[in-house]
Amino acid sequence: MILLAKVALGFGTTLAVAGAYTFREGVIRVDVDEFHQGGAHVHMWVPAAVVPMALHLVPTHHLHHASLEAREAMPVVRAMFHELRNYPNTVFVEVTDGDQHVRVATESGKLAIDVTEPGENVHLRVPITTVEDVFAQLERAGLRSAIRDGKEEDWNWRN
Amino acid sequence: MTHHHGSRVWGFARYFALAAAAGLLLLPLATFAQTSSSASGSSTDRWLHVRVISSDNRGETVRVNVPLDLAEKVLPAINKNRLHSGKVTITGADCDGLDIKAILEAVRTSKDGEFVTVQSDENDVRVAKQAGYLLIHVTDKSGKHHIARHMHHSDKSDDSPDKNDKAEKSQTASTHESKVEVKIPMKVVDALFSAGKDELDLVAALRALSASGEGDLVTVKDDENTVRVWLDSKNVSE
Repeated sequence: MILLAKVALGFGTTLAVAGAYTFREGVIRVDVDEFHQGGAHVHMWVPAAVVPMALHLVPTHHLHHASLEAREAMPVVRAMFHELRNYPNTVFVEVTDGDQHVRVATESGKLAIDVTEPGENVHLRVPITTVEDVFAQLERAGLRSAIRDGKEEDWNWRN
Repeated sequence: MTHHHGSRVWGFARYFALAAAAGLLLLPLATFAQTSSSASGSSTDRWLHVRVISSDNRGETVRVNVPLDLAEKVLPAINKNRLHSGKVTITGADCDGLDIKAILEAVRTSKDGEFVTVQSDENDVRVAKQAGYLLIHVTDKSGKHHIARHMHHSDKSDDSPDKNDKAEKSQTASTHESKVEVKIPMKVVDALFSAGKDELDLVAALRALSASGEGDLVTVKDDENTVRVWLDSKNVSE
């Protein structure tokens, strides 16, 4: 009986630690609702900590390709998201046109994008730190590939 | 004795494990509290606001709020076409052969007053320097002129003009003009042209703008849109 209690305690503690770690970085939330026949209704809650971990499982060549695609925007994204951390609750852009409404903001340290129109609603919440982590991983993947190919000099994101 | 000692260690380990688990469980809350307590920027931050309100029946509105600090940090990271390291390269063709730097130097060193005043059927233009600000006021009356001519023709073709209709047309015509008012601190203009002969230093201009007071920078009013660009220390637009 005591052994069972100890196993339960161990299991509970592990679960608590795993849960705390998983949700420490917050949650990515995606809500898409299409209001027409056969329209999609997607509601996703993903622990933000999972995304950088999942990126480790992505084949290197895919990451390299993505990093090449994002290479030009990388310095801007890095600088912008680094600064966005200083503005955790701010509306940056708001456009209203009749029934259509677009909003780009930060809410409690998350990037919030809301698009509302008569036929479709999209709501996205991504922790800013997660976006930074993803881009940092892409950057590292690109740099690793450049070193492997002897083209380190070309990889001048830092400049 | 050894058994007693071992059970004490085990008991301590259990309490430690429980405390650690509780601590880890509370960690997200602590992180959240820390995030929430940090205000959105400091109170001395300057914010650039842009508001566009369309007067059409859809009521289109655009509001943009940009902290100048953020713009200062992000701009140097953009290296695309003519924009590099927070500076824009301009060519002689952009200035239409004018030596902008020489003109600005002349404006900067001169006393307050009106430099350009143009009044015509098409436009009224006023460029002045006043209390450390460069003021540019332009009233474009070409739309009004066009409507007035249109009215003139239609009046001629109309055999029995109605006075009320005329009055309504006159009212419509008076709204068909656009007004642009620009009020830029001279320090910002100086900073903008501080880089070099063929460059505009946007980051330096933003820094100068941060150091300047609050108020309207640009307002544009016509019969379709009202645009306002202004600077203050609030992180929300009015």
